[in-house]
Amino acid sequence: MDKKTAVYICTGCGIGDALNVEQLLEEGTEEFTIDVSKDHPCLCGVEGVEVIKKDIADEGINTVIIGACSYRVNYDVFNFGPDVIVERVNLREQVAWVMPPEDENTQELAEDNLRMGCSKAKDTQLPEPFKAEEEYSKDVLVVGGGIAGMTAALETAKAGYKAILVEKEDKLGGFLGKMKQSVTMPYKELADTGAAEMIAAVEAEEKIKVYTSSTVEKISGGPGIFSVDIKNNGNAVNERAGAVVQATGWVPYDANKLDHLGYGKFKDVITNVEMEEMAAAGKITRPSDGSPVKNVLFIQCAGSRDPEHLPYCSSVCCLVSMKQATYVKEQDPEAVNYVLYKDVRTVGQAEDFYRKAQQDGNIFIRGAATEVGEAGGKLFVEADDELLGENVKIEDLDLVVLAVGMVPASKPAVTPRIKAPADAENADEEGMIEVLPDSGFFANSALNLAYRQGPELPTLKYGFPDSHFICFPYETRRTGIYSAGCVKRPMETAKALDDAAGAAMKAVQCSELTAVGKAVHPRSGDMTYPEFNMNRCTQCKRCTEECPFGAINEDEKANPLPNPTRCRRCGVCMGACPERIISFKNYSVGMIGNMIKSVNVPEEDEEKPRVICLICENDALPALDMAGIKRMKWSPYVRFVQMRCLGSMNLVWIADSLSRGIDGILLMGCRHGDDYQCHFVKGSELANTRLSKVSETLDRLALESERVKFVEVGITDYEKIPKIIDDFMETIEEVGPNPYKGW
Amino acid sequence: MENKMGYNASFAEEVFRNVDSGDEIKMCMNCGVCAASCPLREHMDYPPRQIFSLIRAGKREEVLGSQSIMLCTSCYTCVVKCPRSIPVMDVMHGLAHYALKKGYTPRIEAARFGKEFWNQVYRRGRVDERDLAQRAYFAGGFWEGVKKILEFADVGIKLVLHRRMKLIPEKKIKGISTLRKMLDKAEMLDKGRSVQ
Ligand code: SF4
Ligand code: SF4
Ligand code: SF4
Ligand code: SF4
Repeated sequence: MDKKTAVYICTGCGIGDALNVEQLLEEGTEEFTIDVSKDHPCLCGVEGVEVIKKDIADEGINTVIIGACSYRVNYDVFNFGPDVIVERVNLREQVAWVMPPEDENTQELAEDNLRMGCSKAKDTQLPEPFKAEEEYSKDVLVVGGGIAGMTAALETAKAGYKAILVEKEDKLGGFLGKMKQSVTMPYKELADTGAAEMIAAVEAEEKIKVYTSSTVEKISGGPGIFSVDIKNNGNAVNERAGAVVQATGWVPYDANKLDHLGYGKFKDVITNVEMEEMAAAGKITRPSDGSPVKNVLFIQCAGSRDPEHLPYCSSVCCLVSMKQATYVKEQDPEAVNYVLYKDVRTVGQAEDFYRKAQQDGNIFIRGAATEVGEAGGKLFVEADDELLGENVKIEDLDLVVLAVGMVPASKPAVTPRIKAPADAENADEEGMIEVLPDSGFFANSALNLAYRQGPELPTLKYGFPDSHFICFPYETRRTGIYSAGCVKRPMETAKALDDAAGAAMKAVQCSELTAVGKAVHPRSGDMTYPEFNMNRCTQCKRCTEECPFGAINEDEKANPLPNPTRCRRCGVCMGACPERIISFKNYSVGMIGNMIKSVNVPEEDEEKPRVICLICENDALPALDMAGIKRMKWSPYVRFVQMRCLGSMNLVWIADSLSRGIDGILLMGCRHGDDYQCHFVKGSELANTRLSKVSETLDRLALESERVKFVEVGITDYEKIPKIIDDFMETIEEVGPNPYKGW
Repeated sequence: MENKMGYNASFAEEVFRNVDSGDEIKMCMNCGVCAASCPLREHMDYPPRQIFSLIRAGKREEVLGSQSIMLCTSCYTCVVKCPRSIPVMDVMHGLAHYALKKGYTPRIEAARFGKEFWNQVYRRGRVDERDLAQRAYFAGGFWEGVKKILEFADVGIKLVLHRRMKLIPEKKIKGISTLRKMLDKAEMLDKGRSVQ
């Protein structure tokens, strides 16, 4: 594409008062071919936009550089269609609003920002959306036929798409189908589970194809082009799907590990699941002799919220025990139920059912069981009653019910082991090592993905598929595969319904976006994708290893084999590749390198240090904008370079900057680790790991390690930004100017 | 671990059924707000929340013999604050009443005070703070009275300065006979109430 470039500077919002615009247009664009350059007192207003549109129409402008507000605002106003490249240069939040007006340093900052924008615009190409060779499917594969899976299939059908529902048992229903009754919205009374109706609805829906007694043997391809091998009663079937919902549910925590609560020792100590099955089968009796129950005690958090067993709260068992206490009272109004609890956690409106359970006269005792025993054919429980401050004994019990928690079906009972890499430290004698939950090789078989990074979804530490409660509750670390229901986190029926509907909508979105070559969350709509210049690939495998979404497989010749429809466009592969052969149409190693090179580095005697801040656009950059909106102040010597994800940071930028005389590099990215906030899960962590290798570069250049610093910035951390910058500037002052200046 | 206290639901049932407002305590979730807000909590052997826990645990003696249930001054704070809208005050009075019927004697001062309070209202239609305190103090004998008066002299002087207590005796209200009729009726109703 032949570029015709125009630069527009807005002088509104205080920009015109802070800067010498004429000089800015001259100095900032000097090294570039600019066809039109103008300023306007209110560029985002109707007249301002008209000026630009007119130039596009009359002058054939196809590349527009706008020096005005942050790219995060007015993006709709400055959108001139798919054929015009728009590059935004921040002169407001990062310059006019935070720097002293009419100051030399402020002016230089604005000029550098404009230079960087011009450089980026020069290198940017219009995206050409990816189109797979195969035909796209928009069907949704749902794995698991319980309440969440059935709901996901029904919602998909309601939205007008086809669903393929695969259930391993011989009938649909999951645990919902095994329950006597359920407590759900509005949480006033017990209600029918609705399982039968739901199963009937699924079976009657012609848009849903149901496979019972079936398992998914293999899923290959990617979003839009998944090829699914199903084993249906021993027969092999192939289906194609655009996206997948994994709703494989949960299993109860293994009560055999709770012998301190009498499980396995006394027949009349049972789990809540066994209680439910007994109630559903008819009558609640003592398993030991079939005699009626008069006194029942429920032990809450049996194994839950206990670091030795299940460290988390399953959020449903409190409600379940109240439901089962209601069964007992319905069967015999004179029966007495005791509920021994740590905290009652009936979340949200479910509190109403707690009130009902109290109204029914059930006795709630706050405390922990210290002993479960038997005397005279009846059970007794001793407990530390927290409210009385005494150890109490509840005798004459017919039944003790352990409220055990939910374990995701994805969590293996025994952690799998694989052959350890040569340099692994904790390998056993046979050279084997435990698989981390963080890996695609950890979870129980459900999807059998033909992905180089493992057959299943990587999970969080407790075995739930990795997702982010706040930022991306449905997304997993495999694009186009969404988790729903209790496999994702413990939840009761009302929540599972919502959750499954959400996941189904995500799946539909994914097929639609993929079909037109667009990315899904968090870069939804992005039409660029990583392109590999394979000639120079050394087969080092870093891209395949580091891609957080398993998008890159390996071909027969051991070359990386990108699957663009699986790609989230984070750029982590681009940052990882030592050969720098991975690039996007509007984002590449060379492009960012050129931007950094366009920054003017003053001579040492001018005593004006220069710092490059590589800043993640997801959280850190919005925080910086916020600091700007709040008119906070910081050093004028920092130049911010926007990253898709800090994980796309390539070390060569650091080396190049330092060898050009840049005094320091500051990296701002999301929090990583267990409570990560990285929108691409592993990006900021990988950037941090990569940084450990930067010391080599620094040593080679004989530079101080303090010149490069990584800081975690959350979206709410805007108040800390000035201090982070000023502290770093202080460090740079202490270590002194970079000796490579002027080389 | 001998003498472990046993839970036993029968006392709870007894309270739910027989005590005025007794079944309200089913809804108590033991948050402790009532206890924290009660101005008399320091003087109580068991604050309201704990009374309710004791009922559930079946501690009949402790509950019916407790001073707390007699001490409630009807200030209403707990009722206003209870997140479960339990009329804690009514329950306390219900329990006190039930305890008296069952032959539990309340703490001596509280009972004297209550009796004197009633007498004054009956006589004058209002409470004479000075006279009430004096009578209550001296009810245990002359020396005890003097001791009490000295103990509370400070408070007394402040009350007078703030015109919360008058030194000259309070007068009868107008229409005292109508009030007396009402009080007589109330007493009659109370006695006639079915109590086990
Ligand atoms: S829901 Fe209740 S019983 Fe279950 S883990 Fe949470 S607090 Fe414990
Ligand atoms: S690392 Fe990111 S950009 Fe690269 S292939 Fe994977 S998802 Fe796509
Ligand atoms: S990181 Fe670069 S060089 Fe290494 S395998 Fe991937 S594309 Fe090839
Ligand atoms: S405030 Fe209400 S709910 Fe809380 S402890 Fe007191 S009576 Fe119970």
